Amino acid sequence: MAVYIREVAQRIFAQEFRESDLSFKDGDDVYSPHYLLTPTGAKVNRIFIVGTLIEKEDIGTDSEYWKGRVSDPTGSFFIYAGQYQPEAAQVLAECETPAFVAIVGKPSTYTTADGSVLTSVRPESIHIVDGETRDIWVADTAERTLDRISALDDEDSNVVKAKEHYGTDRAYYSSMALDALRSLKDEI
Amino acid sequence: MEVANDIKDKFTELGVDIPVEQIEDRLNKLITKFKVPQDEARRSVVNYFLKEYDIDRSRFYSGQSSTTLVSIADINEDGQWVNVKAKVVQLWDNSHESISQVGLVGDETGTVKFTKWSRDDLPDVEEGKTYLFNNVVVHEWNGKFAINLNKTSSIEVLDEDLNVGNIPTGDPLSTSMATVEEMNEDGKWANIKAKVVQLWDNSHESISQVGLVGDETGTIKFNKWLRDDLLDVEEGKTYLFNNVVVHEWNGKFAINLNKTSSIEALDEDIEVGTTTVTFTGAMVDVQAGSGLIKRCPECNRALTKGACMEHGKVDGVYDLRIKAVLDDGVTAQDAIIKRDISQELVGMTLDEAVSLAADALDQGVVLERMRSMLIGKYYTIEGSRLDRYILVDSIDQISELNMALVDELIRDTEVV
Repeated sequence: MAVYIREVAQRIFAQEFRESDLSFKDGDDVYSPHYLLTPTGAKVNRIFIVGTLIEKEDIGTDSEYWKGRVSDPTGSFFIYAGQYQPEAAQVLAECETPAFVAIVGKPSTYTTADGSVLTSVRPESIHIVDGETRDIWVADTAERTLDRISALDDEDSNVVKAKEHYGTDRAYYSSMALDALRSLKDEI
Repeated sequence: MEVANDIKDKFTELGVDIPVEQIEDRLNKLITKFKVPQDEARRSVVNYFLKEYDIDRSRFYSGQSSTTLVSIADINEDGQWVNVKAKVVQLWDNSHESISQVGLVGDETGTVKFTKWSRDDLPDVEEGKTYLFNNVVVHEWNGKFAINLNKTSSIEVLDEDLNVGNIPTGDPLSTSMATVEEMNEDGKWANIKAKVVQLWDNSHESISQVGLVGDETGTIKFNKWLRDDLLDVEEGKTYLFNNVVVHEWNGKFAINLNKTSSIEALDEDIEVGTTTVTFTGAMVDVQAGSGLIKRCPECNRALTKGACMEHGKVDGVYDLRIKAVLDDGVTAQDAIIKRDISQELVGMTLDEAVSLAADALDQGVVLERMRSMLIGKYYTIEGSRLDRYILVDSIDQISELNMALVDELIRDTEVV
C-alpha cells in the first residue's frame, strides 16, 4: 500500500529564508518534490511561520491574487495566494493588518532576469493567532536554527551542499538567532 | 522619533507633506504592539504612504544584485542565472551556424553541456583549460540541464586545473544500536533488538521469512532471504538483529537482513509499542475526516459518503473527532483525538456540533471551526502510538513562552 510521508514544516527566520537561493528537485519525474536548501542546511519543502502580517494587496488582474508581507524579528516573508489557495486567499481578503498570523506553506523561488533569486511562500493555510504564539514561534525557530548551525560539521549531504553553495558563516546566523531571542526579552 | 522625521523628509523631497504624527502612529503600532522590527516597520510605513499618495516606489528605492558562483551539481533549475568555474572537457562539432562553440564543461561535482552563440561575440575556449563563466543561464531540456552563454556573459581564463569528476558518494557503514522508531532512513545500517510480532506467509521463493518485528518504540516489517542462510526466528521471541539495512518503499520503512547480518536469540521479553509517548509541536493541519463524522452502527468504522466499507449503506451515528498533524520542525506527527477530548479542546459538544451543522446545512462548518481554532498554535499531546498515529489521551495548548528556555538558548549561544 502506498503511504506518503508528510513533509516536515521547517522553522526558518525571514532573513535566512530570503538569503536562500538553491532550489532543487529530489528525483527526475514530474511528481518529485521541490526543495529549497537554506544556508544552515535546512531542506525545505514546507515551512511554518508565525509573524506579523504588515501589508496585503490584491495584485491579481482577472481573479484575486493576494500578496502579503509577514514580518519576524529578522526581516519579512512574502506570501502569495490565489485561486489555488482559496482558504488562504480568503483569510487575506478578510483580515486586517497588522495582525499576528500562523502560516503553513510551500517555499517558492523566482529568478529575475539579472539572476537574483527571490523567495516567497505559497500558503496552504493562514490563521489568525495571538502574540504569545508568535513569541513561542520565535523561540522555537531560534532553537531549530541553532541546532542546524551546530550540525554544520556533519557529513550530511544537505549540510555539505549548503556549505559549498553559500559558504555559510556560522557567526552571522548565530547572531541572527541570538538577536531574535534577545528581542523576546526586551518586550517584557 | 528620528525614523519618523527621516521618512517625513524623504516624502517632502518627493513633494508630499505628511504630518509627522501620522507617521509616528503607524510606526508605533507596528513596533510596539505588533513586534515588527524597526527597519521592517519603517519600510511598511513608507509603502503605506507611497500607495496613499500614488508615488512610484522606484523613486524611493533602487537596488541591484549579482549572480552567485555555483558548482555544477547545483545547476538544477531552469532559468537560474549563475557563475560557473569549470574546465572544458569536450568541444563538439557545431551543428548550426548560429552556434559558436558547444561542448561539455565540468568541475569536481559533475559535468554539464554548454552552448556559446555566434551573435554574442565571446572569446573562444579550449579543451582542457579552466575558465570562469560569469552570468550564464541554466536551460532545461528533457529533464537535462545545460548552460547557455549570452551577451551579458563573460569568460575568464584561469590559471588552474580543475579535477573533473562525478559527485563523490559512499556511506561509511557504522552499525550501532537503534530502536525501531529510528529505522526511518533509507540505506541506514543498524543493530536492533526486537521481538517477532508476526510471521507472514512467504510470497516469494527467494524469501526465507517475512513478518513484523517490534520494540517499545513501534513495529517494522522485516525480510530475510533464503540465500543468506540465517537463523529462523519464531513469533513471540526476542532477538538481536545485527547489521540490518533500512529499505524504504513507497514511504514505508522495512528492514532487510543480508549475508553480513546475524541473528541472536535473547532470553528476554520486550513490550511492543504500547508505551505512552508525548509530543510537542505546532498544529499544522486538521485533516479531512475530522469534525463531525458518521460511524457505522455495526462496526464503528467511519462512513464515507454514508456507506460503510463492510456493511454498505447504513444509518450512521454521529461522532466528533480530530485527525491532526503536529509538527516540531523535525517530525510531522499524525494524531487522532477522540470525541471527549475533541469536545473539550474546541469547547463544543457533539450535540452543538450537530446543530451547528444543521443550521449551516453543511457539516463542513464544524471542520472549519476546528481549523481556525487549532491550526498554528502549539500543543503537547500524550497518548499511545499506533502505526503512524498517536492516539491522544490528553492535549494541552502551550500558551506561554518558556523564558527559561529562551535564557538557556541565549546563554549557550553567547558562550560559543
